[in-house]
Amino acid sequence: MSRVDDPDGDLVSRVARGDSAAIQALVARKLPRMLNLAQRMLGDPAEAEDVAQEAMLRAWKQAPRWTPGQAKFDTWLHRVGLNLCYDRLRKRREVAVETVPDQIDPGPAPDRGLIAADIGKRVEAALQRLPERQKEAIVLCHYQDLGNIEAAQLMDVSVEALESLLGRGRRALRAALADLKEQTE
Amino acid sequence: MMDDIRFQDLADAWGGDTRRWPEAERASAEAFRATHADRAAAILTEAQGLDVLLDRAPRAEASAHLRARVIASAEAAGLRPRQPLFTRPAAWLSGAGWAAACAAGVLFGVQMTQGLHAQLQADSVLYQASIPAYDDLEVLG
Repeated sequence: MSRVDDPDGDLVSRVARGDSAAIQALVARKLPRMLNLAQRMLGDPAEAEDVAQEAMLRAWKQAPRWTPGQAKFDTWLHRVGLNLCYDRLRKRREVAVETVPDQIDPGPAPDRGLIAADIGKRVEAALQRLPERQKEAIVLCHYQDLGNIEAAQLMDVSVEALESLLGRGRRALRAALADLKEQTE
Repeated sequence: MMDDIRFQDLADAWGGDTRRWPEAERASAEAFRATHADRAAAILTEAQGLDVLLDRAPRAEASAHLRARVIASAEAAGLRPRQPLFTRPAAWLSGAGWAAACAAGVLFGVQMTQGLHAQLQADSVLYQASIPAYDDLEVLG
Protein backbone atom coordinates (compact mmCIF):
# COMPACT_ATOMS: atom_id res chain seq x y z
CA MET A 1 0.00 0.00 0.00
CA SER A 2 1.46 3.37 -0.96
CA ARG A 3 2.08 5.95 1.71
CA VAL A 4 -0.62 8.64 1.87
CA ASP A 5 0.65 12.19 1.94
CA ASP A 6 -1.29 13.72 4.81
CA PRO A 7 -1.04 17.50 5.32
CA ASP A 8 -2.24 17.03 8.92
CA GLY A 9 0.16 14.20 9.79
CA ASP A 10 2.77 16.25 11.69
CA LEU A 11 0.14 18.21 13.55
CA VAL A 12 -1.62 15.03 14.71
CA SER A 13 1.71 13.60 15.93
CA ARG A 14 2.30 16.73 17.99
CA VAL A 15 -1.25 16.55 19.36
CA ALA A 16 -0.56 12.97 20.44
CA ARG A 17 2.42 14.26 22.46
CA GLY A 18 0.14 16.69 24.26
CA ASP A 19 1.58 19.78 22.53
CA SER A 20 -0.92 22.47 23.53
CA ALA A 21 -0.06 24.71 20.55
CA ALA A 22 -0.77 21.77 18.21
CA ILE A 23 -4.09 21.10 19.97
CA GLN A 24 -5.10 24.72 19.41
CA ALA A 25 -3.92 24.59 15.79
CA LEU A 26 -5.93 21.44 15.12
CA VAL A 27 -9.00 23.07 16.65
CA ALA A 28 -8.52 26.14 14.44
CA ARG A 29 -8.10 23.92 11.38
CA LYS A 30 -10.75 21.25 11.92
CA LEU A 31 -13.48 22.58 14.21
CA PRO A 32 -14.91 25.00 11.59
CA ARG A 33 -14.85 22.19 9.00
CA MET A 34 -16.71 19.81 11.30
CA LEU A 35 -19.14 22.52 12.34
CA ASN A 36 -19.99 23.38 8.73
CA LEU A 37 -20.23 19.73 7.71
CA ALA A 38 -22.72 19.09 10.52
CA GLN A 39 -24.60 22.36 9.97
CA ARG A 40 -25.13 21.56 6.29
CA MET A 41 -26.00 17.94 6.91
CA LEU A 42 -28.39 18.63 9.80
CA GLY A 43 -29.51 22.24 9.25
CA ASP A 44 -29.57 22.80 13.00
CA PRO A 45 -26.90 24.99 14.69
CA ALA A 46 -27.23 23.44 18.17
CA GLU A 47 -27.01 19.89 16.86
CA ALA A 48 -24.12 20.91 14.60
CA GLU A 49 -22.17 22.19 17.62
CA ASP A 50 -22.76 18.93 19.48
CA VAL A 51 -21.61 16.88 16.51
CA ALA A 52 -18.53 19.03 15.94
CA GLN A 53 -17.56 18.80 19.61
CA GLU A 54 -18.03 15.04 19.67
CA ALA A 55 -16.02 14.61 16.46
CA MET A 56 -13.15 16.61 17.96
CA LEU A 57 -13.30 14.59 21.17
CA ARG A 58 -12.90 11.44 19.09
CA ALA A 59 -10.00 13.10 17.30
CA TRP A 60 -8.23 13.60 20.64
CA LYS A 61 -8.75 9.94 21.50
CA GLN A 62 -7.57 8.82 18.07
CA ALA A 63 -4.45 11.02 17.88
CA PRO A 64 -2.17 8.82 20.06
CA ARG A 65 -3.20 5.75 18.02
CA TRP A 66 -2.92 7.45 14.62
CA THR A 67 -0.49 5.81 12.19
CA PRO A 68 0.86 8.45 9.79
CA GLY A 69 0.89 7.61 6.08
CA GLN A 70 -1.99 5.13 6.05
CA ALA A 71 -4.84 7.58 5.51
CA LYS A 72 -5.62 11.27 5.63
CA PHE A 73 -6.66 12.45 9.07
CA ASP A 74 -9.16 14.86 7.49
CA THR A 75 -10.89 11.97 5.69
CA TRP A 76 -11.03 9.95 8.90
CA LEU A 77 -12.49 12.95 10.73
CA HIS A 78 -15.11 13.42 8.01
CA ARG A 79 -16.07 9.76 8.39
CA VAL A 80 -16.56 10.34 12.13
CA GLY A 81 -18.54 13.54 11.55
CA LEU A 82 -20.75 11.94 8.90
CA ASN A 83 -21.50 8.94 11.11
CA LEU A 84 -22.53 11.25 13.93
CA CYS A 85 -24.79 13.14 11.50
CA TYR A 86 -26.31 9.87 10.20
CA ASP A 87 -27.11 8.86 13.79
CA ARG A 88 -29.00 12.08 14.36
CA LEU A 89 -30.78 11.93 11.01
CA ARG A 90 -31.85 8.36 11.78
CA LYS A 91 -33.28 9.44 15.13
CA ARG A 92 -35.14 12.26 13.41
CA ARG A 93 -36.73 9.79 10.98
CA GLU A 94 -37.86 7.65 13.89
CA VAL A 95 -39.49 10.69 15.50
CA ALA A 96 -40.92 11.86 12.17
CA VAL A 97 -42.97 8.71 11.66
CA GLU A 98 -44.63 9.36 15.01
CA THR A 99 -45.43 13.02 14.41
CA VAL A 100 -46.65 14.82 11.31
CA PRO A 101 -44.12 17.52 10.40
CA ASP A 102 -45.13 21.08 9.68
CA GLN A 103 -45.10 21.96 6.02
CA ILE A 104 -42.31 24.43 5.30
CA ASP A 105 -42.89 27.26 2.90
CA PRO A 106 -40.71 26.38 -0.11
CA GLY A 107 -39.68 30.00 -0.64
CA PRO A 108 -40.67 33.63 -0.82
CA ALA A 109 -42.88 35.13 -3.46
CA PRO A 110 -40.88 35.70 -6.65
CA ASP A 111 -41.60 39.41 -6.73
CA ARG A 112 -40.06 40.06 -3.33
CA GLY A 113 -36.64 41.62 -3.35
CA LEU A 114 -34.08 39.65 -1.39
CA ILE A 115 -31.19 40.88 0.65
CA ALA A 116 -27.99 38.85 0.96
CA ALA A 117 -29.01 37.15 4.20
CA ASP A 118 -32.31 36.08 2.65
CA ILE A 119 -30.48 34.59 -0.32
CA GLY A 120 -28.26 32.63 2.04
CA LYS A 121 -31.28 31.30 3.90
CA ARG A 122 -33.00 30.32 0.66
CA VAL A 123 -29.94 28.42 -0.52
CA GLU A 124 -29.59 26.71 2.86
CA ALA A 125 -33.28 25.77 2.87
CA ALA A 126 -33.09 24.38 -0.67
CA LEU A 127 -30.07 22.31 0.33
CA GLN A 128 -31.93 20.92 3.33
CA ARG A 129 -34.84 19.85 1.12
CA LEU A 130 -32.63 17.68 -1.08
CA PRO A 131 -32.70 13.90 -0.63
CA GLU A 132 -30.07 12.96 1.96
CA ARG A 133 -27.53 11.33 -0.34
CA GLN A 134 -27.68 14.16 -2.90
CA LYS A 135 -27.21 16.69 -0.13
CA GLU A 136 -24.29 14.70 1.27
CA ALA A 137 -22.63 14.59 -2.16
CA ILE A 138 -22.92 18.36 -2.57
CA VAL A 139 -21.78 19.06 0.98
CA LEU A 140 -18.67 16.90 0.60
CA CYS A 141 -17.69 18.00 -2.90
CA HIS A 142 -18.74 21.64 -3.00
CA TYR A 143 -18.68 22.88 0.59
CA GLN A 144 -16.04 20.63 2.16
CA ASP A 145 -14.00 20.71 -1.07
CA LEU A 146 -13.01 17.05 -0.86
CA GLY A 147 -11.55 15.33 -3.91
CA ASN A 148 -13.95 13.14 -5.92
CA ILE A 149 -12.22 9.86 -4.99
CA GLU A 150 -12.13 10.84 -1.30
CA ALA A 151 -15.80 11.88 -1.30
CA ALA A 152 -16.84 8.70 -3.13
CA GLN A 153 -14.96 6.57 -0.58
CA LEU A 154 -16.63 8.37 2.30
CA MET A 155 -20.04 7.72 0.74
CA ASP A 156 -19.15 4.11 -0.13
CA VAL A 157 -20.01 4.64 -3.79
CA SER A 158 -18.10 4.76 -7.07
CA VAL A 159 -17.02 8.10 -8.55
CA GLU A 160 -19.65 7.51 -11.29
CA ALA A 161 -22.39 7.05 -8.70
CA LEU A 162 -21.19 10.16 -6.88
CA GLU A 163 -21.38 12.08 -10.17
CA SER A 164 -24.96 10.93 -10.63
CA LEU A 165 -25.91 12.08 -7.11
CA LEU A 166 -24.22 15.42 -7.66
CA GLY A 167 -25.88 15.91 -11.04
CA ARG A 168 -29.36 15.25 -9.66
CA GLY A 169 -28.75 17.38 -6.59
CA ARG A 170 -27.45 20.34 -8.53
CA ARG A 171 -30.30 20.14 -11.04
CA ALA A 172 -32.80 20.23 -8.18
CA LEU A 173 -31.04 23.19 -6.62
CA ARG A 174 -30.89 25.04 -9.93
CA ALA A 175 -34.63 24.61 -10.33
CA ALA A 176 -35.39 25.61 -6.72
CA LEU A 177 -33.18 28.70 -6.91
CA ALA A 178 -33.95 29.77 -10.47
CA ASP A 179 -35.57 33.02 -9.37
CA LEU A 180 -32.53 33.90 -7.23
CA LYS A 181 -30.16 33.31 -10.07
CA GLU A 182 -31.97 35.94 -12.10
CA GLN A 183 -31.75 38.41 -9.20
CA THR A 184 -28.08 37.84 -8.52
CA GLU A 185 -26.98 38.12 -12.15
CA MET B 1 -12.42 12.50 -27.47
CA MET B 2 -14.89 14.30 -25.25
CA ASP B 3 -18.09 15.57 -26.79
CA ASP B 4 -20.46 18.38 -25.94
CA ILE B 5 -22.81 16.12 -23.96
CA ARG B 6 -20.10 14.70 -21.72
CA PHE B 7 -18.65 18.16 -21.07
CA GLN B 8 -22.13 19.36 -20.10
CA ASP B 9 -22.69 16.34 -17.81
CA LEU B 10 -19.39 16.96 -16.03
CA ALA B 11 -20.18 20.64 -15.49
CA ASP B 12 -23.70 19.83 -14.30
CA ALA B 13 -22.36 17.41 -11.70
CA TRP B 14 -19.01 18.77 -10.56
CA GLY B 15 -19.59 22.48 -11.15
CA GLY B 16 -17.83 25.19 -13.12
CA ASP B 17 -14.35 24.68 -11.67
CA THR B 18 -12.68 22.00 -13.78
CA ARG B 19 -10.15 21.33 -10.99
CA ARG B 20 -12.98 19.53 -9.18
CA TRP B 21 -13.70 17.25 -12.11
CA PRO B 22 -12.48 13.62 -12.09
CA GLU B 23 -8.78 13.62 -12.80
CA ALA B 24 -9.11 10.93 -15.48
CA GLU B 25 -11.26 13.25 -17.61
CA ARG B 26 -9.59 16.59 -17.05
CA ALA B 27 -7.18 16.32 -19.98
CA SER B 28 -9.88 15.50 -22.51
CA ALA B 29 -12.09 18.21 -21.01
CA GLU B 30 -9.30 20.72 -21.52
CA ALA B 31 -8.92 19.50 -25.10
CA PHE B 32 -12.66 20.06 -25.67
CA ARG B 33 -12.33 23.51 -24.14
CA ALA B 34 -9.49 24.35 -26.49
CA THR B 35 -11.35 23.24 -29.60
CA HIS B 36 -14.86 24.43 -28.62
CA ALA B 37 -14.02 27.54 -26.64
CA ASP B 38 -17.38 29.33 -26.93
CA ARG B 39 -19.51 26.30 -26.15
CA ALA B 40 -17.27 25.26 -23.25
CA ALA B 41 -17.31 28.81 -21.84
CA ALA B 42 -21.12 28.93 -21.97
CA ILE B 43 -21.44 25.59 -20.17
CA LEU B 44 -18.90 26.55 -17.50
CA THR B 45 -20.48 29.99 -16.94
CA GLU B 46 -23.86 28.35 -16.36
CA ALA B 47 -22.34 25.92 -13.83
CA GLN B 48 -20.37 28.68 -12.12
CA GLY B 49 -23.61 30.60 -11.64
CA LEU B 50 -24.92 27.82 -9.41
CA ASP B 51 -21.52 27.54 -7.64
CA VAL B 52 -21.70 31.24 -6.74
CA LEU B 53 -25.24 30.84 -5.48
CA LEU B 54 -24.31 27.84 -3.34
CA ASP B 55 -21.51 29.89 -1.81
CA ARG B 56 -24.09 32.39 -0.59
CA ALA B 57 -25.28 29.86 2.00
CA PRO B 58 -24.10 31.11 5.41
CA ARG B 59 -21.00 29.56 6.94
CA ALA B 60 -21.19 28.52 10.57
CA GLU B 61 -18.55 30.17 12.77
CA ALA B 62 -17.15 28.34 15.77
CA SER B 63 -17.82 30.50 18.83
CA ALA B 64 -15.08 31.19 21.39
CA HIS B 65 -17.14 29.20 23.88
CA LEU B 66 -17.24 26.14 21.60
CA ARG B 67 -13.51 26.40 20.88
CA ALA B 68 -12.78 26.59 24.62
CA ARG B 69 -14.99 23.56 25.27
CA VAL B 70 -13.24 21.55 22.58
CA ILE B 71 -9.76 22.51 23.80
CA ALA B 72 -10.75 21.59 27.36
CA SER B 73 -12.01 18.24 26.10
CA ALA B 74 -8.50 17.44 24.82
CA GLU B 75 -7.14 17.39 28.36
CA ALA B 76 -10.16 15.43 29.57
CA ALA B 77 -9.35 12.86 26.87
CA GLY B 78 -5.88 12.41 28.35
CA LEU B 79 -3.85 14.67 26.06
CA ARG B 80 -1.64 16.38 28.62
CA PRO B 81 1.59 18.11 27.73
CA ARG B 82 4.61 15.88 28.22
CA GLN B 83 7.45 18.21 29.12
CA PRO B 84 11.11 17.42 28.44
CA LEU B 85 12.73 15.34 31.22
CA PHE B 86 14.75 18.16 32.81
CA THR B 87 11.80 20.51 33.04
CA ARG B 88 9.51 18.03 34.79
CA PRO B 89 9.17 18.79 38.51
CA ALA B 90 8.54 15.12 39.23
CA ALA B 91 11.71 14.20 37.40
CA TRP B 92 13.77 16.29 39.77
CA LEU B 93 12.25 14.44 42.68
CA SER B 94 12.40 11.01 41.16
CA GLY B 95 15.59 10.89 39.10
CA ALA B 96 18.00 13.74 39.26
CA GLY B 97 16.67 14.61 42.69
CA TRP B 98 17.62 11.24 44.11
CA ALA B 99 21.03 11.48 42.46
CA ALA B 100 21.59 14.92 43.94
CA ALA B 101 20.48 13.70 47.38
CA CYS B 102 22.87 10.76 47.17
CA ALA B 103 25.75 13.02 46.10
CA ALA B 104 25.02 15.38 48.99
CA GLY B 105 24.94 12.46 51.39
CA VAL B 106 28.25 11.13 50.16
CA LEU B 107 29.83 14.59 50.38
CA PHE B 108 28.49 15.06 53.90
CA GLY B 109 29.76 11.65 54.89
CA VAL B 110 33.23 12.32 53.47
CA GLN B 111 33.40 15.72 55.13
CA MET B 112 32.24 14.23 58.45
CA THR B 113 34.79 11.43 58.18
CA GLN B 114 37.49 13.94 57.33
CA GLY B 115 36.41 16.08 60.28
CA LEU B 116 36.49 13.12 62.69
CA HIS B 117 39.84 12.03 61.28
CA ALA B 118 41.28 15.53 61.77
CA GLN B 119 39.90 15.62 65.31
CA LEU B 120 41.47 12.25 66.07
CA GLN B 121 44.74 13.41 64.55
CA ALA B 122 44.69 16.57 66.66
CA ASP B 123 43.91 14.60 69.80
CA SER B 124 46.65 12.16 68.96
CA VAL B 125 49.17 14.95 68.30
CA LEU B 126 48.32 16.59 71.62
CA TYR B 127 48.61 13.25 73.37
CA GLN B 128 51.89 12.40 71.69
CA ALA B 129 53.21 15.90 72.40
CA SER B 130 52.74 15.23 76.05
CA ILE B 131 55.06 12.21 75.72
CA PRO B 132 58.72 13.13 75.43
CA ALA B 133 60.81 11.98 72.38
CA TYR B 134 57.93 10.90 70.30
CA ASP B 135 58.09 11.99 66.64
CA ASP B 136 54.97 13.81 65.41
CA LEU B 137 55.64 12.46 61.96
CA GLU B 138 54.83 8.99 63.13
CA VAL B 139 51.35 10.15 64.05
CA LEU B 140 50.62 12.59 61.22
CA GLY B 141 52.22 10.46 58.49
